[in-house]
Amino acid sequence: MAEEFDLEQMEKETEAMLRLRYLTPDTAVFTKTEGGFVSLRLGEEFYPRVQVVRMFPFSEPEKYVSIRTAEETSKEIGVIEDLGTFPQEVRIILEEQLGLRYFTPVIKKIYQIKDEYGYAYFDVETDRGRCRFVIHMGGNAVVHLSDVRILISDIDENRFEITDVTKLTVKEQKRLDLFL
Amino acid sequence: MVLKFDLNEEELAALSLNEGEQVLYAVPYDCDLSGRYVEQAFTVVTDTRLVLLCGGVKQAEYRLEDYDAVKAEPRINCGVLYAVKDGQDFLLVRYSSKHLARYAYVARGIALLKSGSKELAHSDENEKSCIVCKRALPGTRECPYCNRKSRGAIRQMMGLLTPYKAQMVLIFILMLLAALLTLLAPEAQKHLVDDVLHNGKGGYPLAFFLLAMMFLLGIGIAAVNIGKSYYCAKLGSTLAKDLRSKLYSKIQILSLSFIHEKRPGELMNRLMQDTGRIRFFMEDVFCNLFTVCIIFISVVVYMLILNWKLALISFIFVPIAGAMSMLWRKNIRRRFRLQGKKSDDVHSALQDVISGMNVVKGYGKEKEESDKFNLYSDVFANVQRRNEVFWALFFPLLSFLMGVGVYFVIFSGGREVLGETMKIGELMQFVSYTSLLYTYLGWLNNMPRQLMNFITSTERINDVLLQEPQIQNTEKACKPEIKGAIELRNASFGYHSYDPVLEGIDLTVKPGEMIGLVGASGTGKSTLINLIMHLYDIDGGELFVDGENIKDIDIDYYHSQIGVVLQETFLFSGTIYNNIRYAKPDATEEEVIRAAKMANAHDFICRMPDGYNTYVGEKGSRLSGGERQRIAIARAILNNPKILILDEATASLDTESEYLIQTALERLTSGKTTFAIAHRLSTLKDADRLVVIDKHRIAEIGTHEELMERKGIYYGLVTAQLEMQAKKEQSIPA
Repeated sequence: MAEEFDLEQMEKETEAMLRLRYLTPDTAVFTKTEGGFVSLRLGEEFYPRVQVVRMFPFSEPEKYVSIRTAEETSKEIGVIEDLGTFPQEVRIILEEQLGLRYFTPVIKKIYQIKDEYGYAYFDVETDRGRCRFVIHMGGNAVVHLSDVRILISDIDENRFEITDVTKLTVKEQKRLDLFL
Repeated sequence: MVLKFDLNEEELAALSLNEGEQVLYAVPYDCDLSGRYVEQAFTVVTDTRLVLLCGGVKQAEYRLEDYDAVKAEPRINCGVLYAVKDGQDFLLVRYSSKHLARYAYVARGIALLKSGSKELAHSDENEKSCIVCKRALPGTRECPYCNRKSRGAIRQMMGLLTPYKAQMVLIFILMLLAALLTLLAPEAQKHLVDDVLHNGKGGYPLAFFLLAMMFLLGIGIAAVNIGKSYYCAKLGSTLAKDLRSKLYSKIQILSLSFIHEKRPGELMNRLMQDTGRIRFFMEDVFCNLFTVCIIFISVVVYMLILNWKLALISFIFVPIAGAMSMLWRKNIRRRFRLQGKKSDDVHSALQDVISGMNVVKGYGKEKEESDKFNLYSDVFANVQRRNEVFWALFFPLLSFLMGVGVYFVIFSGGREVLGETMKIGELMQFVSYTSLLYTYLGWLNNMPRQLMNFITSTERINDVLLQEPQIQNTEKACKPEIKGAIELRNASFGYHSYDPVLEGIDLTVKPGEMIGLVGASGTGKSTLINLIMHLYDIDGGELFVDGENIKDIDIDYYHSQIGVVLQETFLFSGTIYNNIRYAKPDATEEEVIRAAKMANAHDFICRMPDGYNTYVGEKGSRLSGGERQRIAIARAILNNPKILILDEATASLDTESEYLIQTALERLTSGKTTFAIAHRLSTLKDADRLVVIDKHRIAEIGTHEELMERKGIYYGLVTAQLEMQAKKEQSIPA
């Protein structure tokens, strides 16, 4: 800590944090690394591995993507305003990294919800395959993102999304009723 | 937490272990790199390799010696394991949150392996759900459901009840008696109707006798039931009380790590809610358990003996009624849970707005907020109305349907009576028994649920009671006179075995020396103090107090020799007098006054209307921070400890109280081994030596002058603080 604690540098960094630097396809060169991560060359700067982070993971998953340094106390290198502005092959690399970072299966079908002694056991089909998970009955396992969109957290802190509750069959909705 | 899952034959074969190679860790992964779920997939770590298996087939294999490190990185609701080679990261495997902690331990295990240590990473954390039956665990180590089969609910219950044998026998007799009397009542009624009323035998005397008997039976049933309830309630509350005190003393013995592992409030729940549930079970369920079972079985047998045809007719409806009552209960539970949830919504919406009222008003959002609240309120009202309607409509209907069985009996029995193959009294007796049957049906239906609740609570309580305290007095625990020499030799410690907080700490402190601990937050200063206070055992290395291994010193005795002044002083609700005397309850008034004077607390205490008898409120809320601090110092002075811990004792105080406390502390610390943590380095100016902790280790050690000359971390910190200070002074216009 103290080695880095330099007031002048701290001030510089605070200034830098204020800046919103947009990355564009002509300045930023993303390359997939041999190890399965992604590197970034930005003019003179080179980052062997960067983190790709959504700022609005629920409302704007394709926009405002923060590119950050890899370490735990990461700092922002720049922001991609819209992934769509990047060429296809770069987008694939970045989407892949986003896919690796976020894991929120979307529930497509509810086979069964069984409640037993304070826990509810879900058996569902998701966009990532069939899954069984358990939630706490009390507490705030279900969060409403909007009137129809919900997020369910299980006891292992996994999260599952239902994009539109009204799109489920009446039977499925009835099973889910208790949690809405 | 399991770090080595059992692999099947196929998987072991796929591993193709070399001679002498051993599986050290085997943990599942549940999704592939693209995020699709996979099943029966494992990450296996042996002495030399890391192998990925899926469906019994080897997917990939890495030689550990080829890589510099293997790290587990938490992502959003998932995590990845990657290997580092020449500064480049290589993705290995991905998993959902379910296995996040497991992989953190495995990564730590691999690090241990690579460092050449023979030690294996292990985890004391509980699993979230049962590995065998996949049910969620109620925060316990053992699964109450699987355990029920192995250990037996009844035996568990008996274990709890052994100390109350005499009471149990009494209750059991009462239960038998209650069953007997309940069964006898219709019998007397039969004789009255058949013999006296129908056949005219015995006349008034017999009629009166039978009536009197029925009357006495009625009174008897009531009396026995009252007695039964009384003793069950007594047993229930004594049992709950005993369990509570057992739990409480156990929790106090258990080390802090056990308490910190639990969610806040969880232990409180176990102490209050679970014991409450056991009391409820004893009073409401156990009390009737045998009575109902005996009545139910005897009624069935008796009816079959009396008239098996009629009995079968009346049983026909039992499964239907049983199913109905089950459905009914389920429905009711569902409805009222929904209502409860909506009511919670209204509450939390209300609480949100009321606690944030200044923000709402400040931004002029009253209208929006009231609309939002109305919406919640409407939804709640609707659910409530629907439930009330349902209740009013269906409850009578259900009671009627539940009674339909009786009509069947009357119909078929009536025909037999008309055909003179059955007596009218017998029929009446039959009807009485049938209604008994149906009355208890609902009760029996709810039994499994009640029993499971009880078992879960027992399990949660046993989980604490059976816990071995991690810090225990050894057999040779002694009480040497403490002088205050502390020595740490290559000590290491982490709250989780995968996450070391301190490593390789070597430190020798002379008696009476004052040590200032310096370092950024989270570097382990407070942890070091926790170790010196022996709140935790060190994981590796040794810790000596006056040359004696700390593990061999009686824990209570050792703690009585330590004084602590923390940043946030904890006062117990009570008087100032009692708070100062806390560590030494037999202190005289004079001693307390002297201590308070030394702590610069005497004057402010005397200014209070109630003097030393001033009630400080919960957590000392009626006193200012500085006042609380001085009381804590007085407490420490009174105790005259040999080792003193000051953790940010002068932070967040105004200048005057800081001065008062500083002088009080100087008096307190003279001649005592002192460990002081402070962010503001000027408060450590009196320290004999300063210890700078950085990156889990001791980075620098020496006097203020020595460290300033070294121009290392400490120097950087001091100059930075001086610069900040100067800057602040500049910005204040003179």
